[in-house]
Amino acid sequence: MSAMILLAFLGGALVTLSRQINGRLAVDTSALQSSFWNHLIGCAALAVVTILAGSFWPAGAATAPWLAWIGGALGVAFVASGSWLVPRLGAAMTGGLLVAGQMLSGVLLDLVRGQDAILWMQLAGIALILTGVVLSRR
Amino acid sequence: MPDERLPAPDGPAPARPLEILAALGTGGLLTLMLLSNSTMAAHTTPLFSSLTAHAVGSIVAALALGALWLRRGASHALPRRNRVPVWAYLGGLSGALTVMLTSASANSALALTGTLAIGLAGQVVLALIFDLLGAMGLERRRPRRRDLMALLAIIAGALLIILARGSAA
Repeated sequence: MSAMILLAFLGGALVTLSRQINGRLAVDTSALQSSFWNHLIGCAALAVVTILAGSFWPAGAATAPWLAWIGGALGVAFVASGSWLVPRLGAAMTGGLLVAGQMLSGVLLDLVRGQDAILWMQLAGIALILTGVVLSRR
Repeated sequence: MPDERLPAPDGPAPARPLEILAALGTGGLLTLMLLSNSTMAAHTTPLFSSLTAHAVGSIVAALALGALWLRRGASHALPRRNRVPVWAYLGGLSGALTVMLTSASANSALALTGTLAIGLAGQVVLALIFDLLGAMGLERRRPRRRDLMALLAIIAGALLIILARGSAA
């Protein structure tokens, strides 16, 4: 269990690490190039793992809906934007505001899809996040 | 030695409305991206989902760079301001590793809720350290008290929202 807690913590830390590295590359080149290299190198690494795992085309791939295929395209914009923001806002504020946007839109998506969740906690969470966003301005 | 590519750190500049809006919108993009990637993972495996996302992303980014090159020339499409250290190209490695770690812990007793909550902590703690150190040659900055309060409010809100979903499921 404590090993899993460490894994989850490291998983989060790696998000910050890759954003910082990509942010540096964006300063030296451009945000779009940074996003390109992020995806290409990540793809190469995952291809190696896939070869080791030995499963190139899982059964469900052919029947996955189109929605399942567009994540990578959204990822290009996501990484480019993060790389652009980090040198401007710093790692902490960039991470915080991205999480804020993710959570606000996540609650919206939950409501639209009728996902089970405790409403008062969601509303309190939104209020806290909006407070944080306002505070992040001077 | 101070890094001369970036403005001198005489107190960090406050976040501007444009950057705040960009970050919030980008966070919204992340929600859609995770929806897409988790749909693929549900049909196949987390590994295949991440592999295809990175492959599609590589192609889309290459096409975007190519389009930029055709419209505005190589110097706009592929600017290079400095000698770029090799490690700066390797951000994708840690992104790829993230998938492995989080899909392992999300399938453990921690579940998705615990993985998200603890991951949030890992993200913020390292980000504060990076800011204080000016890691990877980016600007060194000590967060203002107000920034820390903003972060605290956002994290508390995010935890409530993560728990709101986890407790109902």
